[in-house]
This record gives sequence, structure tokens and C-alpha cells, in this order.
Amino acid sequence: MSGLFRRHFLILPAAALLFLFVMLPYVNVLVMSLRAPSDSTPYGEGFSAGGYVKLFSDPYYFEALGQTLWLGVLTAFVCFLLGLPIALHISQASRRWRGLLYGIVLSPLLVGIVVRSYGWTILLGNTGVINATLRNLGLIERPLPLMYNSFGIVVALAHVFLPFMVLPVLGALQGLDPAVGSAARSLGASRFTVFRRITLPLAMPGIQSGAILVFVLAVSSYVTPALVGGMRVKTMTVMVVDALIDQFQWPFGSALALSLAVSAGVIVLVFARLTRMKWK
Amino acid sequence: MTEVSILSLVKRYGTALAVNDVTLKVNHGEFVSLLGPSGCGKSTTLKCIAGFETVSDGRILFDGHDISNREPEDRDIGMVFQSYALFPHMTVAGNLAFGLEMRRVARDEINRRVADVMELVQLSQYAGRYPRELSGGQQQRVALARALVIEPAILLLDEPLANLDAKLRDEMRTFIRDLQKRVGITTLYVTHDQGEAMTMSDRVVVMFDGRIAQAAAPEDVYDRPASEAVARFVGNANILTGTVEAGADGAPGLRFGSEGTLLRLPAALPAGTAPGRGLRVMARPEQVRLTAPGAGDATGTVVSHYFNGGFIDYRVRVGADEIMVHAPTADRFADGAAVGLAFDAGRLWPLEGAA
Amino acid sequence: MRLASALLGLFRLLVYVFLLAPIVVVVLASLNAGNFLTFPPQGLSLRWFFTFLENEVFLRAIGFSVVLGLAATAASLVIGTMAALYYVRHAKRRAESVRIAILMPLILPEILTAIALLFFFYEVGVGTEYYIALFTGHVLITLPFVFLNVVTSLQGMDEMCELAARSLGAKRFTAFRRITLPLAKPGMINGALFAFIISFDTFGISYMLKGTGSAPLPIQLFDYLRFNFTPEAAAVSTVSIILTLAAVILADRFFGLKVQRF
Repeated sequence: MSGLFRRHFLILPAAALLFLFVMLPYVNVLVMSLRAPSDSTPYGEGFSAGGYVKLFSDPYYFEALGQTLWLGVLTAFVCFLLGLPIALHISQASRRWRGLLYGIVLSPLLVGIVVRSYGWTILLGNTGVINATLRNLGLIERPLPLMYNSFGIVVALAHVFLPFMVLPVLGALQGLDPAVGSAARSLGASRFTVFRRITLPLAMPGIQSGAILVFVLAVSSYVTPALVGGMRVKTMTVMVVDALIDQFQWPFGSALALSLAVSAGVIVLVFARLTRMKWK
Repeated sequence: MTEVSILSLVKRYGTALAVNDVTLKVNHGEFVSLLGPSGCGKSTTLKCIAGFETVSDGRILFDGHDISNREPEDRDIGMVFQSYALFPHMTVAGNLAFGLEMRRVARDEINRRVADVMELVQLSQYAGRYPRELSGGQQQRVALARALVIEPAILLLDEPLANLDAKLRDEMRTFIRDLQKRVGITTLYVTHDQGEAMTMSDRVVVMFDGRIAQAAAPEDVYDRPASEAVARFVGNANILTGTVEAGADGAPGLRFGSEGTLLRLPAALPAGTAPGRGLRVMARPEQVRLTAPGAGDATGTVVSHYFNGGFIDYRVRVGADEIMVHAPTADRFADGAAVGLAFDAGRLWPLEGAA
Repeated sequence: MRLASALLGLFRLLVYVFLLAPIVVVVLASLNAGNFLTFPPQGLSLRWFFTFLENEVFLRAIGFSVVLGLAATAASLVIGTMAALYYVRHAKRRAESVRIAILMPLILPEILTAIALLFFFYEVGVGTEYYIALFTGHVLITLPFVFLNVVTSLQGMDEMCELAARSLGAKRFTAFRRITLPLAKPGMINGALFAFIISFDTFGISYMLKGTGSAPLPIQLFDYLRFNFTPEAAAVSTVSIILTLAAVILADRFFGLKVQRF
């Protein structure tokens, strides 16, 4: 008994923490989403599937769900386009440069998400840096609509989550022996062929986990859509927070949040199947 | 100095038997090697002695005291690990002092003994270095010194040379053996390298599948292996299979191969060997000489030959068999040449068990 | 070919600019002398920093975030290090499930975890009182970072070292204190730093669980930004960036950081 305890006591605090404050609360959310609504309290007595019915029958919510997932997919794709060349660049950079470039990639992580989103509002706003510069140069007369729309949200989200694409790809490329590329060239492969046949397959596991990570983070982000999207583009998370905090409708808010989580999970699974992902 | 007795040691992992009824006595100051392929139970045996594994059955005695259930730190052992397991955050001197600190030795004495042992392994100038700043061979000597400085009852070495390059390995063999003789400590040495076991040990214990196949002096294991498996694991062996027959002079002989060559056997044969019975006989490659065709015990054709510095290794086809011959460079035969083979009858070794 | 390389180089440069731009812009905006966030700035001044220094709400928020971050980091450090030791040494066949379970708060959407915790604490009757919910949430989301970093450290360590110490006469606990703990230290420092920064910057958990009374800095900043457009927010953001940088530099100066992979 004492030997068993000695080996397992190390995991006890973490296990208790995760059981009490992740497992139970998540089960509770599931139950909550099926409770009856109430006007005076967060939820009423008895159970009802009303929250889900409302979500799937009202196009306003249904479209928001689709819109949110679409923004997540776009963000993941933009991060892939921007992140892959950067990851390759860093993996091939000399030791001295690598530290600096690594620092630049990690820098958004060291700055809070509120500050980063705020930075984008300064850049993209109607009187923001970009519009003001273009106007002063006489290139445009009226400000370009860069903010309070999907474009602004995707740009800001891509910035916020780019490190989560670059880091896994870098991790995957770390095992790449530089001699492999040379070996392929010596066998008659062109630079592009080396990329397509050697580098890309090696980076693939990193791209997959990076894309999933970015997608999940983007879909469930709140600050960036709230600040950059303003009130005009409503993502699911913004609606969830509205339902819970402003309208005090816990069952409906839970139903919204769970539907988002489940549909995001389905997209992740489909993506993994399509790209023949090997789960680690 | 201490005497180690292992009595009917058994180590089970679930239903798998890693060590299966091993009994072995190691005498005062003796150097004993546990030799065998990976997974034969030699390392597990050593870990049981060190206390890193609990014993499933049987007992381990140091000088007659049962230590089977003692914690490793209470066994008074010195151990050298395959990976050296030097403490990376301590200097060489710090590593060497650790065991003495655990024994609450006074600081001046620690300093004196650490200085002495560094002298012993020729590392005095590296006292302030960290392990990562040392070469593989130097790290290995620190590991050895760390185990010796506490003057343990017995020294346990687990494949200590496996991570060194070939030349350094040869140097360290002699270094460890000389040191062990000088200190006179009872030593158990685990290795899968038969050359190491041969050159260093007083006694070699060959293990297969968790059991001891043979425990004997190196010469005995080499010249008089207990089984075909031992013969093949320790060095190269030609195993000739045939039937016992009385020769023209009445002495026993072995009729072997498709040509039906009759080979003279040594006088002493295993019990139960009678004319007409099958028998396997071992001949080491260096115990076979190449002669002119027809002059030896058998005739064959050279299949291949490899120049090996002081020697040439031939493969000679005799009927369906292929015989390895380790010959001096003075004997030169081209591939395809017909040669005679002369066996050293006195050193042919009949193996136990029917063919 | 050369044109393609040049274009690729330019593209990479733009991505690096993209990564740094919002941060640089925030810092520059904080130096704006004007009343509004206009571009180009109407002269340089530190006036918004002085405004910030007189704003008790923001000062209290920073203090609160630091205290909360330190408390959550301390708890995560203990729990995460223990879990990492278990994962590397004892989990064996259960290792993969242990790892996934501990990374769960990182994998699950933070906002959903925040909601789940909010309901849960209300249901057990604690609500957002005494910052218990907030503290628990911060421990949960910082735990994976401590765990990952300590695991990396421990995996780089020769497991035999502890056995070597035992063979030299060290008791179990002495071997742990003299050998394992010092070797896990770099991972613990990295993990603690990560945990503090995550706690200092996190939003979802804090937003849902903050309750009445003091709120962490990101929440205070967010509330302010929704209705105000003065450069004061930029000044607060700049201070928050400087604080994070200071934490990194101090940790590096005192302990020497190693860049670790995820």
C-alpha cells in the first residue's frame, strides 16, 4: 500500500485538480445546456432541448456558427501560408540569426492578446496608421474598410496565432538532417522537388498540428473578434458571452458554446482524415 | 574484501522470467564477468545485486549476510553505469565527493580521498571540470573513480565500455583490470562482448535466457564450452556433425560430411559416446591448418579469404560444410584453390548432447 | 530563379514586419502627445504615462495581475512538477493518457473552460467570491506550461543518475534533493516564467471568473478600450509589454533561459 501510494501521490494533486475543475464542470455544462430556461434566474427547473432548437431554427445563430467556423478555417490557412516560409527560414538560419528570428516569432506570445488586438485596431482603423498613410500619400480618398469586418478579424487572428503554426512546424523540421536535402540534390532533384518530396512531407505532422491548434484557438477566441470586429461581425463566442453575461441565459449560452465546440471538433476530425494525419 | 553468494535468484516481470534460478558464488577479490546476448538476464542479475530491482525469489548474500531486501544505499556497493550517469550539475571533484558526503566523512578526509582517487585514475588536472567538458574515456574514468572512492564492498560494472570507440575500449580493458587487481576489490562485470570478458576476468559466466549456461575460467569457456550455444557465442566455432567410428588403430574417430572424412578424436569423450552414435565436435578456426591437397585430414576448396593484418581468414568448402580457418599470412591460397585441412586432434572438443 | 528567391525573401521580411507591427505601433501610440489616437502623431510626449500613473484603476489592476500571476504560478509549479515527475518516471503505459489529461486545459477552448468553471463554482455555492474561481482557473491554464517544460528537462536527464546516487549511499529523498531537483530546475524556471506570462496575459478565464472587486489588467484594459480611444490605453499596454519583457530578462539574467520547444 505504501509503495503504491509513494508512486502515485505525485499525480494526485494534478488528477484531483483536473477531475474537480475540468471533468465535473464540463459534465455540468452539458447538463446545463439541457436545462429549462427562466426569465428571473440563470436557469429554470426541469429539462428542455429548447436551447438547441433555438440555435438550429434561427438563421441568425446558425449563420453565426457557420461564419465563425469559416473564419477559423481562413485563419488556419493564412497562418499556414505565412508560417511555412518562416519556419523553413528559421530552421535553415545560422545559429546567430536563429535566436533573433525565434524571438520575433515568439514576441506576440509575450504580449497579451488584448494588447495585440488593440494594436490591430490602431493599424486598421478608419483613421488608423494604414488608412492615414494611404490618404496622406493621395492613393485613396475614402478610408478602406479594414476593420469591423471579416478581413480585419482574420488578419488580427492570424497574427495572434501565427506562433502556434510556426512552432510545431519548426519542431517537425528539427529532425531534418540538412544532408538529406543535399543527398536529394545529388540524386538529381531540383530545389523545388526537394521541397515537395522531402521538406513538405517531413513538415507535414507539424503543419497538421499547427493548423488544428490555430483553428481551435481562432474559433474560440473572444477578444480579437470583439475588439477588431466591433459589434458588426458577431462570432459565436461573442454571442455566447452576450447570452451568459448580458442576458443571463445559461442553458442557451451553454448550448451555443457546446455546439461550437462539437462542430469545431468535427471539422478537426474531417481535416485529420483528409490529410491522413497520424495521431501521436 | 567481500564474498558474494547468489542463491537460486529468480526475477519475474509479470509472467516473463528475466532471471531463472541463478546460483553463483563470487570469491574475495575475484573478477567475474556475466557474458551473454542482450536480454539474457545478465543486467537484471546485476540490478538485483545492486538493489535497483527487487528479487522475486532466492537470496543474495554479502559475506554471509542476506542483503536481498536492503535498499541500494545500504548495500555498500560501487556501481559503474553504461551511460556513466555522472551528475551533470557537479564538477568532477563534486561527483567524486558525493558518496563520501553521504557517508558523513569529514571534509578534510573527503578532500584527501578525492585527491587520491583522482591521482589513481589520472584525472587530477580535471577536478574543476564538468562532465560535459570531458571526453568519453575521461568520463568513464570519473565514473570508475566515483564508484571506488567510497571503498565499497563490491564493484559492479554494467557494460561500462559500450559507449567508447574501439581503440579506447582496448586501453580501458587493461586499465580497469590493473586497477581492480591493485585495489583487490570483488568485481562483477556485465558485458555482451566476449573479448572483454576473456581478457579481463578470472571467471566468465555465460548466460542465455535467464540461466547460467557455463561458469568457468576464460580458457575453459573458450576451449571446452559446455554447449554449442556457448561455443558459438564465445568466439568463432566450426561445429562438425558426424558419427563416432573406431579408426584403423582402434582410436575413436568422427566420420563427418558428405565426403565421409574420418577425423581423429581426442581420447576423452563424453559419457554415452559409442561407435555408431551421432556427435558434434567443435574446432576453433585457429585450430585448423591449411595444407597441400591430400596432406591433411580432409580436402576442400577455398571459397573466400580476407586479409586481416596478422592473419588471413579463409572459408573452405568441404562437401556440404563450410569450415572457417584462421591462418598465418605465410599460408597463401587463392579463391577456388584445392586445399587440405589438418585438424588439431588434441584440441577438438566433443560437445555434450546427441547430434 | 533569382527573382523567385528575391520575392520569397521579400515575403518573409513582410511576415516578420507583420509579426512586430502591432506591438511597435502600440508602443509608438503611447508616445503620442495628442488627445486621440491619430496618425501621424501630434508630437512626442510621455504625458499619457503620467496620466496612467495617476489612474488608480489601472495601477490596482497591474498589482492584482502580478499577485494573481505569482500565486497561480507557485501552485502550478508544485503540481506541474510533481505531475511531470510522475509522467517521466512512473506513468509507464499510462503515460500518454496522463499527458493528454494534463494538456487538456490547453487543448480545450479557454472560453468554454471558463464558462464551465463559472457554472460549476456557482453550483457549489462559491460563485466568484474570494477570487477562488479566478485562482483555480489560472492554475488550470498555467499547469500545462509548467508540465511541458519540466518534462523536457527531466527527459534530457539520465535516469540512471538517481540510481547512481542511491548506489553511492544517498537515501531516496536525498537523491531527489541533490540530483533530480537541480536537474529539473531549468525546466521549472522556464515553466514558471511561461506560467506567469500566460496568467498575466490571459483573457477568457479572467473575464468570466473575475467577479466583483479587483480585476486583472487585461480585463480592465478591455473594458476601457471598448469605450475610450485615448492613447492612455496604449501607455498601459506599453507598461504591460515592459513588465513581461522585464520578467523574461530577469529570469534570463538570474537563471539563464533556454529556448524550449513545444
